[in-house]
Amino acid sequence: MDIRYTGEKGPLFGLALKTGLLTIVTLGIYRFWQKTRIRKYIWSSVDAGGDTFEYTGTGIEKFLGFLVAIVFLAIYVGIIQMVLFYAGLNIMVDPETATTQEAIAQVAAIYITFFAVLPFILYAMYRARRYKMARTRWRGIRFGMEKGAWGYVLRAIGYGLLAAITLGILLPLQTFKLEKYMADRSYYGSARFTQEGKWSDLYKAMTHILIAIGIVVVSAIAMAGAAASETVGLAVLGGIGIFVGYIWFFFGSVHYSVQSFGYLSRNKVLGDEIRFDAQPRTGFVIKTYILGGLLLSLLASVAFGIVGALATGFIPLMQDGSGVAIAMFGVVMAIGYIVALVVVQALSMILITQPILGHYVETLKIRNAGALNRIAQREAETGVDAEGFADALDVGGAI
Amino acid sequence: MQKTEAQFFDGLTAGRHDVHVALSDDRQAMIITGDTLPEPLRWTLMDLRALSDTGHTDRLTLTRHAETDDEAPRDPARLVLLDPELIAWMHRTRPGLFRADMHKGTWRKIGIYTGGAVAAAGLMLFVILPAMANTLAQIIPIEREIAFGKVVVRQMERVLGSGSGSLRCTDPAGIAALDKMVTRLTETREMQYQISSQVFDHGMVNAFAAPGGQVVVLRGLLEAAESPEEVAGVLAHEIGHVESRDATRHALRTAGSAGLLTMIIGDFSGGAAIALVGEKLMTAAYSREAEAAADLFALDMLQQADVSADGFARFFDELDDLQGIEIPAYLSTHPITADRADQARDFAREQSGTRPILSDAEWRALQNICR
Repeated sequence: MDIRYTGEKGPLFGLALKTGLLTIVTLGIYRFWQKTRIRKYIWSSVDAGGDTFEYTGTGIEKFLGFLVAIVFLAIYVGIIQMVLFYAGLNIMVDPETATTQEAIAQVAAIYITFFAVLPFILYAMYRARRYKMARTRWRGIRFGMEKGAWGYVLRAIGYGLLAAITLGILLPLQTFKLEKYMADRSYYGSARFTQEGKWSDLYKAMTHILIAIGIVVVSAIAMAGAAASETVGLAVLGGIGIFVGYIWFFFGSVHYSVQSFGYLSRNKVLGDEIRFDAQPRTGFVIKTYILGGLLLSLLASVAFGIVGALATGFIPLMQDGSGVAIAMFGVVMAIGYIVALVVVQALSMILITQPILGHYVETLKIRNAGALNRIAQREAETGVDAEGFADALDVGGAI
Repeated sequence: MQKTEAQFFDGLTAGRHDVHVALSDDRQAMIITGDTLPEPLRWTLMDLRALSDTGHTDRLTLTRHAETDDEAPRDPARLVLLDPELIAWMHRTRPGLFRADMHKGTWRKIGIYTGGAVAAAGLMLFVILPAMANTLAQIIPIEREIAFGKVVVRQMERVLGSGSGSLRCTDPAGIAALDKMVTRLTETREMQYQISSQVFDHGMVNAFAAPGGQVVVLRGLLEAAESPEEVAGVLAHEIGHVESRDATRHALRTAGSAGLLTMIIGDFSGGAAIALVGEKLMTAAYSREAEAAADLFALDMLQQADVSADGFARFFDELDDLQGIEIPAYLSTHPITADRADQARDFAREQSGTRPILSDAEWRALQNICR
């Protein structure tokens, strides 16, 4: 069964712009409805075998979930940040007489704030995925995901540490195990998903990252050798090599995320017999990033340029130097700036986010789709916190 | 409405039912019939709702308004209309088609949750964090505070000088005059901190107190001042901040509340800017008290050191003239300067036996400290 993505640029841009402006006007409160409405558009644009997906989340439950999260996080974040700052002050050292060790301890104290919130960020990531699953339907049947956010937090920290200690060598293990943890707890109606495959298979997707690291290492050695033997040509070559390796690393990372998604999707099973085929192309994703990014920056400069041009209209008024004229100028600039920012966000939605999403969807196929007809409904999920933690901690990005 | 083909999902299994829909005889409901349905279904027109914000105009997905456990009060069954005429008819005759219904008691829930969140955030921002900042500022060892202060002063130097090396003014005669001023102010009283003062080569009319006894005066202030007593008043004010640990307390409180505020405001466009304004407003409300206390401290200090508060008053007058735009009192971190000038002037009238704080030569040396 083929899956198509039918979303268009015009309507999505209009929706993102309209809801973005409403968010500004309501001082941010509308952002829960904004996200909900954009998801409704995107979900409904995914068409599997003639039947479209449905997003059933509501803005109001997202807002309520956020309020609940605020009560917890207000207390935790406020106190933890102040205590950590105090701890940082207590190892604060005179910058003129500090030893390296003391300076490192101080920097560590500053970054520890991030690690204090990290478990909640991971918790929020799992809860956000669970919420989105629980609010997704196809052919009237709910998707769903079991509870298990704290188990995810422990594993994410554990595998993350492993990947960090091994300098990224065990990154595929982290990617595979975490996705397996989430996939194995996912359902479509009465049917459960299973993640099959081997984590070591992901090394194939990692090839370009390893090549990039190899280039950088060899170039660095070449440069060190050049410095020792004072060979200019070798040093220049090493410098170019490091630059190439850097760019290669960026493309390699994109390649890894695209191809690991493909591999993990191809090895998912729904129920006993429904399988998937996924062939996303790294080239398309990179092309969209580059072309979309270029077009976006061009249009962004136009948008901000218009604001600047409008603002210059107020300069003659300011000649008399009255406070009112200056204040007016400030207000116009601020509003113009914020509106331009909303326009740029809406543009990035249609120039980058939507095309890449559409590509992932269109290159996905369902095998043995006939078995889908036998899948039965699952219970409505009412206990989810509607990703309030994710909203409070700003996890999850554009959609 | 003619009998028309449609697709039906019963909300129980994932199978698709090919059905026909038609208007009932009493024209109050839609009758859904199909070979795969056990019996015809009757959906009252009043209850019909359609999915909103969808990405297509050639299909309309209908559901029913019903009290269920779902996130919205909706029947899990779906009826998909693909016939353009029928879709147009629905749009034309059912104005409430896209209505967003809410479960009963939602408004009450919104009220309770909002109240809870506002209470928790307010309690943190205005009671717990300030109280914690107060306590922590009292128990922090002074040598740590001094180290922190040095970092702050270095940071200020970097910001003011845009990174172009040291701003410290080093003329020995000027430094001697400044030290004499500080000694005169502090020698007659018990001090918790060793005050170390310096002048930065910057045109702004300002002075600030960093944690741990560091007081910095900017060159612009020395140039704007007409007498050494004006500078003495400002110094006494900043020493007041040092003695009550205002800077340390403020830094601690900001560390706690800044993260909280950005979290509440969220990361929509311009959210950071709004959070900044919120933080500014809170700081203003909080520091107006601190400023008023530092003013009183300064007047008391001037009195004990036999320095006239007239200069302090004149400094406020000048500050008032400098501020071209009228800043509303609740936005400014400092109380309205005219009031402060009056307070100092009234105080000066009561003073007797004052003597100059610097000789003319010393005053000239201080003003030229950056040359």
